[in-house]
Amino acid sequence: MTDSQNYKQRKKEIIITGFGGQGIILAGIILGKAAAIGEHMESTLVQSYGPESRGGSCNAQVVISDEIIHYPYVNQPDILVCMSQSGYDKLIKQMKQRGTLIIDKDLVRPSPGLKDDLFSIPATRMAEELGRVMIANIVMLGFFTAVTDVISMNSIQKAIVESVPKGTEELNSNAFKKGHDYGLATLKGRQKKATGQAGAIS
Amino acid sequence: MNDFKIILFLCNWGPHTAFQTLQDNGSEIPTEVSMMIPCTGRISKSLLFKAFEMGADGVLLLGCKPGTCRYGSGTATARENTEDTREIIGLLGLGKERLRHVTFLPDESDLLLKFLNDFCNQIRSLGPSPMALIRMPESEIVSRESLAEIVSYHDAFACQDCGKCASACPLALIGKPFSPRELVNSIIAGDMDSLSVNKDIWSCLTCGLCYDRCPSAVNFPEFIRDIRHVIRKNGGNAHEAHGGFFQSLMRTMTSPGLKTERWNWLPQDVAVDSKSKILFFGGCSPYFDIFFRNHLGVETLNILMDSLRLLNFFDIKPALLQDERCCGHDLLWSGDKDNFLKLASMNVESIHNLGIEEVITACPECYRTLAHDYPKHGIKLNFKVTHIYELLEREISKGAIDFKKINKKITFQDSCRLNWLEAPADLPRKLIRRLKPSSFREMQNNGKSAICCGNCAWTGCDAFSKALQVKRLRQAHATESDLLVTACPKCQIHLRCAMEDPFLGKELNMEMIDLTGIIAKTIYWE
Repeated sequence: MTDSQNYKQRKKEIIITGFGGQGIILAGIILGKAAAIGEHMESTLVQSYGPESRGGSCNAQVVISDEIIHYPYVNQPDILVCMSQSGYDKLIKQMKQRGTLIIDKDLVRPSPGLKDDLFSIPATRMAEELGRVMIANIVMLGFFTAVTDVISMNSIQKAIVESVPKGTEELNSNAFKKGHDYGLATLKGRQKKATGQAGAIS
Repeated sequence: MNDFKIILFLCNWGPHTAFQTLQDNGSEIPTEVSMMIPCTGRISKSLLFKAFEMGADGVLLLGCKPGTCRYGSGTATARENTEDTREIIGLLGLGKERLRHVTFLPDESDLLLKFLNDFCNQIRSLGPSPMALIRMPESEIVSRESLAEIVSYHDAFACQDCGKCASACPLALIGKPFSPRELVNSIIAGDMDSLSVNKDIWSCLTCGLCYDRCPSAVNFPEFIRDIRHVIRKNGGNAHEAHGGFFQSLMRTMTSPGLKTERWNWLPQDVAVDSKSKILFFGGCSPYFDIFFRNHLGVETLNILMDSLRLLNFFDIKPALLQDERCCGHDLLWSGDKDNFLKLASMNVESIHNLGIEEVITACPECYRTLAHDYPKHGIKLNFKVTHIYELLEREISKGAIDFKKINKKITFQDSCRLNWLEAPADLPRKLIRRLKPSSFREMQNNGKSAICCGNCAWTGCDAFSKALQVKRLRQAHATESDLLVTACPKCQIHLRCAMEDPFLGKELNMEMIDLTGIIAKTIYWE
């Protein structure tokens, strides 16, 4: 009984969704690589093929677990990361109850009831400010790492450096740091709000 | 009682009559030095303070009872001046009790004698003043050679006499017969005694606009600063504003025995941690607010409170320097390098003793002085100096921060001392663009061409300083804004001064707030 509970806690099913070209699949690959190589866990990736990769909606389904994974598809994600409105609309109903929803603030408008139960970051805008909109996926991974406890910072940073094109390592590391800082700031802000100290002057 | 020096300022009218009665009766008067003055209202804060600077253990200002002042307002003025000075020497750690303002009627000689005895006993129980005897810069005749050294150090010979400096100089543009190049030429020619050198050298705002425009890159502000030092050493008048009060105040802070109480106003909700490796360096705002409270309603202390609250907002609980002294900026820029160096080494020693790794300050003058002028004058720092804008920009850019809307149209007054440094120059505008005012409009002169608030280092203030302030405030109004955001406590003081003008005040009046204040009021965790 205890074992199975543990198992359940250690198994995470994740879907990352967005437009083709945003680097959704690469984000999934990095996540799985970090879990498998960095954390010595099992991981699988199922990616949506087809016309999506030319600009439509696409998604990466990642399972990370302590034990052998028998079924790689994700039907009910524990964590849903949305970088496009169409991806959000399609998958939000499938998300587990009390699952974690992470969105790109500028690209996804969540349903009104959800406002407080999600983590949001303007990842694409931040990537633009860093000079390359393509690194929005890495900004998102940084944010993901900070607000969830799926993967350690070390493993994922290593996986990023190994997976991105040569010559862009520093840019991507900066993007990761930006997203991670934003995540930490978000958590700190929530903590402050919970104590009723949202402003500087009480 | 001979070991103690007690200065007695006696009004010519009420108390002096009583004092003379005591002398006529051969009574034993305990005080040593007594001075007859025409009216207690004429004793300014700077004169009261100078007595302490020159070694007094106690100072008495004895005047006429309210309603009996021969000139009407003397008693009230004396009361205000004494109260302000008392508060300031309290902060300085000298003890308020050493200064009193008391009133007597002409026939109250017995009361006067009793009071003098009581006061002397009180001073005796307090002990001698912790103020060390302050040495004025030692006068020495400066040779032609050392002058030439300054000229060649700043490469003033490179002046091409092109006049770009004068066409940029805010003072020249406001109509003052003042020309940086003429000044340089007179000094090169060794004409140090000329009226223009002796007077104009103290008028320069050292704002740095001319340096920016100079095709030969003559650093005019620093050149002026060093020449001021030479003139001061030769016993020249420094044309100090406010009777030299602030120069006196800063010089007295070189006394090693002073235990200042500069943080005694700290509100309860501000969290500090004496073990922190991050130090918040406050600056002289607490003194400014007391000095200017009666006629300007200046509130520069808010800058410190808001800065500390912003640090707390980002979970930084800084240490404070309990014996913090003035950074020395105003002494350095008004010709007293000797005492500047003393303050600098005392501050740095105290900071090193606490094992501080980073010093944060909200004052542009403290920032420039600590970060640049200390090392330039050979004082090594084992810590990093950060302006609070750098820290705020860094933390806010991490994200999850938003700002409440402000229903105001804002404009911005640059600080000269930040404007000419590499790193922090763009920061105020970056921060302002994050805010959510109804609008943000720049004044006609902004950024690198911004105009000084009218005065620097409490020296050479005159009618042209006021004219400059009027011009600046008119520029602010021309933006149709209703909130003027500033970045330096001195800008608040000087621009407020112009708003007090009895003729133009109404036209010039405008709400002002420091940038840290507007951020602290509107920032929140998203």
